[in-house]
Amino acid sequence: MRENEVKVGEMGEAEATLRLIAKLPAPEGLVGRVQSGLRAAPKDARVLDWPVVAESSHSWLNGWVRGAAAAAIVCLVAGGAWQISLRMVPAGGGNATAAPVRVRPAGGFSSAGAMRTPDTLNGPVLKQEQKKKAEDVKKKGGSEKKSAEAGPR
Amino acid sequence: MGTLVLEQAWMATTGSAVYEEMSERASEQALAALVEQYAPTLYRVAYSVLRQAEDAEDAVQETFLRVMKHRETLGEVRDHRVWLIRIVWNIVLDRKRRAKTRPETDDVAELARVLPAEGLSAEDRAAAAQHHAHVLAMVETLPAKEKEVLELSAFEELSSVEIAEVLEITESSVRSRLFRARNLMAEKMGRARQDRGGSNR
Repeated sequence: MRENEVKVGEMGEAEATLRLIAKLPAPEGLVGRVQSGLRAAPKDARVLDWPVVAESSHSWLNGWVRGAAAAAIVCLVAGGAWQISLRMVPAGGGNATAAPVRVRPAGGFSSAGAMRTPDTLNGPVLKQEQKKKAEDVKKKGGSEKKSAEAGPR
Repeated sequence: MGTLVLEQAWMATTGSAVYEEMSERASEQALAALVEQYAPTLYRVAYSVLRQAEDAEDAVQETFLRVMKHRETLGEVRDHRVWLIRIVWNIVLDRKRRAKTRPETDDVAELARVLPAEGLSAEDRAAAAQHHAHVLAMVETLPAKEKEVLELSAFEELSSVEIAEVLEITESSVRSRLFRARNLMAEKMGRARQDRGGSNR
């Protein structure tokens, strides 16, 4: 029983500390500082941020003027682009093709004028030719055999 | 005909802009009201974990910045208080995980500064700060799950259902963790008392 009371007391001691800290008041001016921090924070940019136009009796006129201005800007840009495209003369193609200049690295070894000659490739061998060769070898072999047989007599 | 279409398009644009402006203002006002109402509570929650005034204030600021980023969802939130406490709770836990472990002496100095000292002599004040810092150091040694429940249960305004919502667990889990936390704390405190008694003898 006594042990149980001690346990409860010890437990209460820990919770009393936590409660004491949980009850500590927030510092003065906290709300104001948070508010000003939020005001200073960059807000997400909107894609279209059109200015708000107050409704007036001439709103239709206003809209017409805006439309005309937009059309005029489009015409100007298109006309300018057309003018530029007219004045541009396509460059004629050159007869000579420029080879890329090899830039030798500064310092290091030079090739001493040596030129690399590629190995000549063996051309393709025709099947018929191969067959003919094989037959020649066979014939040659046969005649040699015959002469060898006739030789010792 | 073409002018009429253009005009209608312009009207539609300006109309939606007015609506956007209005909803923007409304969400700003709602956010300001939330700061006014809940910033002190959030500060206390943050302070109970971080135990540093500047860090706690930073955590509150970060909480509201996050809310501002998702202000269009404010209307969907059922209980703003619990929702905000959950945000600040996650922020402070994350900060604490990244921060180095604070020595007990830091807590003593901070507690001596902030604890109410009415009617206490300087000596008593220092002793009380030392005692509370010692208790907090012991709380720190508890397993994370038990410690979190114990720390949140210290807030009288939070019911066990709300603690469960903050920690995203069931209410029965809150109760069982709290029971375990209390038992563990009692054991630790008892052992510490015995050790002190032994060393005094």
